[in-house]
Amino acid sequence: MAAPLVLGILVAVTVRAVLYRSSLAGFISERVEVASPLNAWKRVVEGLALLDLGVSPYSGDVFHETPLIIYLFHFLIEYSELVFMITDVLTAVALYLAVQDFNKVVFKKQKLLIELDRYASDVAELIRTPMEMHYIPLKVALFYLLNPYTVMSCVAKSTCAINNTVIAFFILATIKGSTLLSAIFLSIATYQSLYPLTLFAPALLYLLQRQFIPVKLKSKDFWLYTTQYAALYLCSLVVIVCLSFFLLNSWDFIPSVYGFILSVPDLTPNIGLFWYFFAEMFEHFSLFFVCVFQINVFFYTIPLAVKLKEHPIFFLFIQLAIISIFKSYPTVGDVALYMAFLPLWSHLYRCKFFVFDSSHPHPHSPWGTLNSNTTDVYCVTYTLYISLLQILLISDYFYAFLRREYYLTHGLYLTRKDGTEAMLVLK
Amino acid sequence: LLFSCLVFLKGVGTVERKNLSEDQAEQFFRSGHTNNWAVLVCTSRFWFNYRHVANTLSVYRSVKRLGIPDSHIVLMLADDMACNPRNPKPATVFSHKNMELNVYGDDVEVDYRSYEVTVENFLRVLTGRIPPSTPRSKRLLSDDRSNILIYMTGHGGNGFLKFQDSEEITNVELADAFEQMWQKRRYNELLFIIDTCQGASMYERFYSPNIMALASSQVGEDSLSHQPDLGIGVHLMDRYTFYVLEFLEEIHPASQTNMNDLFQVCPRSLCVSTPGHRTDLFQRDPQNVLITDFFGSVRKVEITTETVALDPNLVGLETRVPNDEMATEPLKYAEQLPVAQIIHQKPKQKDWHPPGGFILGLWALIIMVFFKTYGIKHMKYIF
Repeated sequence: MAAPLVLGILVAVTVRAVLYRSSLAGFISERVEVASPLNAWKRVVEGLALLDLGVSPYSGDVFHETPLIIYLFHFLIEYSELVFMITDVLTAVALYLAVQDFNKVVFKKQKLLIELDRYASDVAELIRTPMEMHYIPLKVALFYLLNPYTVMSCVAKSTCAINNTVIAFFILATIKGSTLLSAIFLSIATYQSLYPLTLFAPALLYLLQRQFIPVKLKSKDFWLYTTQYAALYLCSLVVIVCLSFFLLNSWDFIPSVYGFILSVPDLTPNIGLFWYFFAEMFEHFSLFFVCVFQINVFFYTIPLAVKLKEHPIFFLFIQLAIISIFKSYPTVGDVALYMAFLPLWSHLYRCKFFVFDSSHPHPHSPWGTLNSNTTDVYCVTYTLYISLLQILLISDYFYAFLRREYYLTHGLYLTRKDGTEAMLVLK
Repeated sequence: LLFSCLVFLKGVGTVERKNLSEDQAEQFFRSGHTNNWAVLVCTSRFWFNYRHVANTLSVYRSVKRLGIPDSHIVLMLADDMACNPRNPKPATVFSHKNMELNVYGDDVEVDYRSYEVTVENFLRVLTGRIPPSTPRSKRLLSDDRSNILIYMTGHGGNGFLKFQDSEEITNVELADAFEQMWQKRRYNELLFIIDTCQGASMYERFYSPNIMALASSQVGEDSLSHQPDLGIGVHLMDRYTFYVLEFLEEIHPASQTNMNDLFQVCPRSLCVSTPGHRTDLFQRDPQNVLITDFFGSVRKVEITTETVALDPNLVGLETRVPNDEMATEPLKYAEQLPVAQIIHQKPKQKDWHPPGGFILGLWALIIMVFFKTYGIKHMKYIF
């Protein structure tokens, strides 16, 4: 399996290298779907230039990256293209290894449940076989590498790629079962952009599952492990934040990075939901609505945790998708990350409501071109359309997943009490 | 004996006379100024601001009468009162009630008229930054031996003077313009007179040497106009300039009246506002400054029939400083071209480097985590 992966990596690297040398690179890096104020490359360059001039890069509203990125790129700025290609490759490899391990776990669990006779009798066609699962890791890695969104975001040198790498490593560490590494990578991911905080819950659930600790509120083991994990996470977060203080000897980065993410002052159009709403809002209400919107991102964690506690990786996937739809400055790089997981759930095709292809319709963006009200409306409707598609996709997968679980336990051909065929309805 | 005494005395007398004319000849080289210029500005338009035009024209008249030619006067009038359709006596601008004095005459040369009187043009005239197409009559071609009189009138406030109802010049701008003039060596001495409300605020910010300033009112006070003329229907002059004009009418090119007398013109009883003056930037004592040094263009010409031997060294010139002059530090001009700075470029800024503590801490943490996850046993493979 390594050979096809290596081949895939080579192809992806070639594609990116070709695009770097072409004229599309400049064009793509200007697009707002790819480069947001948080992760645009020209802002990184600007911040480093300010630093060379002796000024704090966080002065003026230009640079919103964390100090670790400053440290990373201070030495690597000439090789930035290589760096981004390597990060993409690392992400793909990490996802590959993670999914490989995960498949083993899924298979083991399935075997256990069959032996425990938990499944209904006629669900043979829903059981997953190793044959079909053999190519999933490769598919995942290739999905990530060759996804046009990823390629675009790599060519635009958006630091979203670095965020994705950290999250991929976090997923790898979680699936491998290492508490320490998982906590550390999660804290780095949270430190980079605030939203991976919500991934704490699925990771915790998965690690508990691995340790065979049942999630009961009264269980001492549960609380012990949870506090252990939470402590590791928080401590490493604190350590990283303090370390980044020592980089520039100032706490400037906190309002610049986290204040910026949370209070959303920059309202240039992007594929998210925040900008249009806040562009037309009275100042009086903006604080309230900022809070509402931010809570919206974090809000789905608890209900999903309750519903999906048996299936933490699916929960992780849904959570990733929710983050990338509802975060304050989404870009296509975030979308590419959760889209890479779609092959994992391709077995749900039977139960799907809508048939979505893994690629969305191509965005033709009118943003850079016209400056009129019509563009505004067009942008907004387009943005909303993209978000709607994503939400529909996610809810569709969710629904399909739940349906499959229901079928597994209750049999594929549902009969009502009186023997007629029944339909499963999501209430 | 008596004859020898007479001869001796005669010899002494001739020697004395010779010394006197030598003194007088040497005095010719004493003063730093060789020519005079005047910039007279009226900044308000509209018929009811007749008095500002009349003010400026009165000063123009005095200055011309005392010898400054039109080529050395830059006259800026923001509106045409003489040919204004509301003027019942066209082609005249009166400065005295009962129409006694027509300051307009038939030899008035207005250099900047009507809408050309703007802050930009005024500053360009002062600093000399004029487009090459500007005619000579619109230029202030002064050099470092010119004494310049600048007279401004109009509506003003604390720190500003209004031009044409649409823009303002601030005291800071004016001070900077004078500093530019000083650095470009465009004046020897400068007399600045302003007749507006709160006029003293306009000279508060001067910082260039050799400027003397007069104003018609202090900060917080209004300058008032003199009398309305019922025949013309507007106020003809402002009080301060009216009394200055009266004062100047007494001056002739040979008068020895000095600045201190000008400071006494228009006391509070006559002017209602308190005129102010500023002499701290001026090198000479105002007592020694003649009115004609600024208001006139007086050539010191004395005809003598005897030959005077001038000492080419003129050693005594520097040491002959009158006792009552202020001892100031020698003036120096700013460096026109900072050659030293250009030759030795600024050293290149050192690039920023992350602090050592940070790098150490980060890598120590990374190594710690690595060993924690993979076990200490790997250490022996590394070391």
